[in-house]
Amino acid sequence: MEITTKEEISWCPGCTNFFIKKSVEDALKNLIAEGYKQEEFVMVTDIGCAGKMYDYLNISGINALHGRTLPTMIGIKIGNPHLKVIGFAGDGGTYDEGMDHFIHSCRYNNDMNLIVHNNQVFALTVGQATAVSQIGFKEKTHPFGVKERPINPIVLALESGATFVARANSLDIQGTKEIIQDGIKHRGFSFIEIMQPCITFFDNREILKKNSYKISTMNKEDAIKEAKKWNYEDNGKIPIGIFYKENRETFEDNYDILKI
Amino acid sequence: MRLNILIGGKAGQGINELASIITRALAATGYYVFNYREYGSWIAGGHNFNVICMSDKKTGSIDYDYEVVLALDDKTLETHKKDIKKDCLIISEKNVEVKNEKVRNVYFAAALFKSLCISKEVLLKEIERKFKGKALYEDDIKAVEESYKKEYGKKINCKKEGKPKLVMGGNEGVAMSALDSGLNVYFGYPMTPATGVLTMLAQAQKNPENKHFVFEPENEIAVANMALGASFAGKRAMVGSSGGGFDLMTEALSAGGIMELPLVIHMSQRGSNSTGVPTYTGQGSLNDVLYSGNGEFARVVLTCGDSKEAWDKTREAFYFAEKFNCASIILTDKHIVESDYSFDDFKKSNVKITEREIKLGKEIIRTSSYEHNEKGHTTEKAEEIAASIKKRVVEKIKNIEKEARKFEMYKVYGEGKNLIVSYGSNKGAILDAMDDLKDLKYLHLLYLEPFPEEIIKELEKAKQVFLVEADALGQVAGLIRQKTGFKIEDKNKILKYDARAFTPKELIAELKRRLK
Repeated sequence: MEITTKEEISWCPGCTNFFIKKSVEDALKNLIAEGYKQEEFVMVTDIGCAGKMYDYLNISGINALHGRTLPTMIGIKIGNPHLKVIGFAGDGGTYDEGMDHFIHSCRYNNDMNLIVHNNQVFALTVGQATAVSQIGFKEKTHPFGVKERPINPIVLALESGATFVARANSLDIQGTKEIIQDGIKHRGFSFIEIMQPCITFFDNREILKKNSYKISTMNKEDAIKEAKKWNYEDNGKIPIGIFYKENRETFEDNYDILKI
Repeated sequence: MRLNILIGGKAGQGINELASIITRALAATGYYVFNYREYGSWIAGGHNFNVICMSDKKTGSIDYDYEVVLALDDKTLETHKKDIKKDCLIISEKNVEVKNEKVRNVYFAAALFKSLCISKEVLLKEIERKFKGKALYEDDIKAVEESYKKEYGKKINCKKEGKPKLVMGGNEGVAMSALDSGLNVYFGYPMTPATGVLTMLAQAQKNPENKHFVFEPENEIAVANMALGASFAGKRAMVGSSGGGFDLMTEALSAGGIMELPLVIHMSQRGSNSTGVPTYTGQGSLNDVLYSGNGEFARVVLTCGDSKEAWDKTREAFYFAEKFNCASIILTDKHIVESDYSFDDFKKSNVKITEREIKLGKEIIRTSSYEHNEKGHTTEKAEEIAASIKKRVVEKIKNIEKEARKFEMYKVYGEGKNLIVSYGSNKGAILDAMDDLKDLKYLHLLYLEPFPEEIIKELEKAKQVFLVEADALGQVAGLIRQKTGFKIEDKNKILKYDARAFTPKELIAELKRRLK
């Protein structure tokens, strides 16, 4: 069975989402080769450029409401704990519209995987600021530039109890694929933020190439310190890799009726 | 005989539990009972009360006219002074001797039964059913014995050996029917008056025979979207809330419409709008459940006038949701869910609910909040959009309308040239008021979407048509006009929007004034 569909792709030519899609495809293919069943993968996608994954991956799924990717994923997981549930959402859907769900999902620790395509902008609505846009970012709805500080979702996820927290660089297809594979294999809620330059509205490809450095998994205290080193601005070094991994009982472990 | 018994005290004193025990014990002797609960938005200290109406005839209402008062605090007699009848039987701290404070309420219950000349055995039996095996059970029994020995002055002879009546609360009607309908998952966020169903279903998980799962997530938005996810995975899913909580669910209601996922929603109305009057009743959210959500999609809206109808219509809600892959809303209000109703017998609804074939996990299936073609893929093509909407909206609504005719969409009670139209919890007071009125029928609506347009025959036949509704704008009259073209005159609209339920006494006065 093909891992992709034949639907026409509607991302901008040259969009870094093509890289993410390639990483996801490769990760899924590897996992299927290892014994995972293609029919048991279920994606939930948000609305926006990231959400378009829904039409391109040949796995089951719901193209959910904007911001509601996580509760929809949890619902599916409660409905059938055997399914491997993966979410694809943008920074707007996760850190703006759906922030409450993000914090609580870190707490609940359902055995599922969230991939956030973070391009630091609402792209599909043509370029407005999100909760992780840089200070001073100017666009049509912020004619004087963004004044509010960006949220640091990695720190937030760590503090909120996520058991797998990682950041990937979309330009590194191989590295991103490996993080996704690890994230899906992780028992518990895995959160992977993929830094994804928007070539139309926020093109920081050069910064991402120049400033990224690789990290290896560390304890929570160090992970928080490491995550705080970059505040989503252009002038800092950007840590890439798995910050933190923990084995904790999952949401499903805690209820007899959901236990596998 | 029809007696209104007031039981008043401080919040936290266990007034509602005491009323529940008395209600069930009275029903066991053969009385019809209706137990009404009134309380404010406080946890401890404020004044709460219940009113139990016991009657030889079937009843579904109370009047604020008390023949008997159980005053568990000083404030009760003061607060209700104007509603207490002159020769009222009063049981208070003045004549009840409480020897064991831990089971204080039981002394009052036994004093009541003694004063009503009812054997203590029925009370003991109810206490056994409720408390056997619990720490204070022996103390409870002792309290009944001690208290029953005493005399309390005035007596009313209510001795009866009738066929025991069954008591069921509105919450129970909704929650237990959901379980009986094969509920798999229930999601809810606490909001009065819908919390009762959430609590009841959560507690029911302790019974190993039940296999459902209850979860209380971060907010109603998560509630509704989780339910959609679980429904997609093939589970019978239900959610519940009241006004503002339901508002938060409406984007998911729209999403469920386009995704065509079965979902049962219990929407329990409170008084007024917004935060409104949380612990009181009203019917102002009718238009909210009928029209909320964006775009056009199929939905079913069912209502009920007592706990048995709540049971039946909850089951039908599951039937429609599962058969037509749509949202079914069971519309109640505080007055239904937090009241106890009595019945001669109880026959469970045997409507057979369609078993869905679960494909997720076995093959690739998709659904989307975005307009999509038959394969579930996003589409913006004109012909695909139109085909999709024709199937999902136009044809589905037609099919639901046809199917609904297999069920009881409305009931007509009584005989006469004039007609009252209403729905929901007003039924109890209307039927009780009709005992004192002549030439009057009651048309009780149960299905609001789809709507039984055939009621036009009844409306046109009637000499005068009256509307009884617990809101300020007469929303159901608007619905009737939209669906049948029949206009109920403003002067014939009996509307109440003080967050209290109708009483027979006020309905009799309102109707007598208008009846020609």
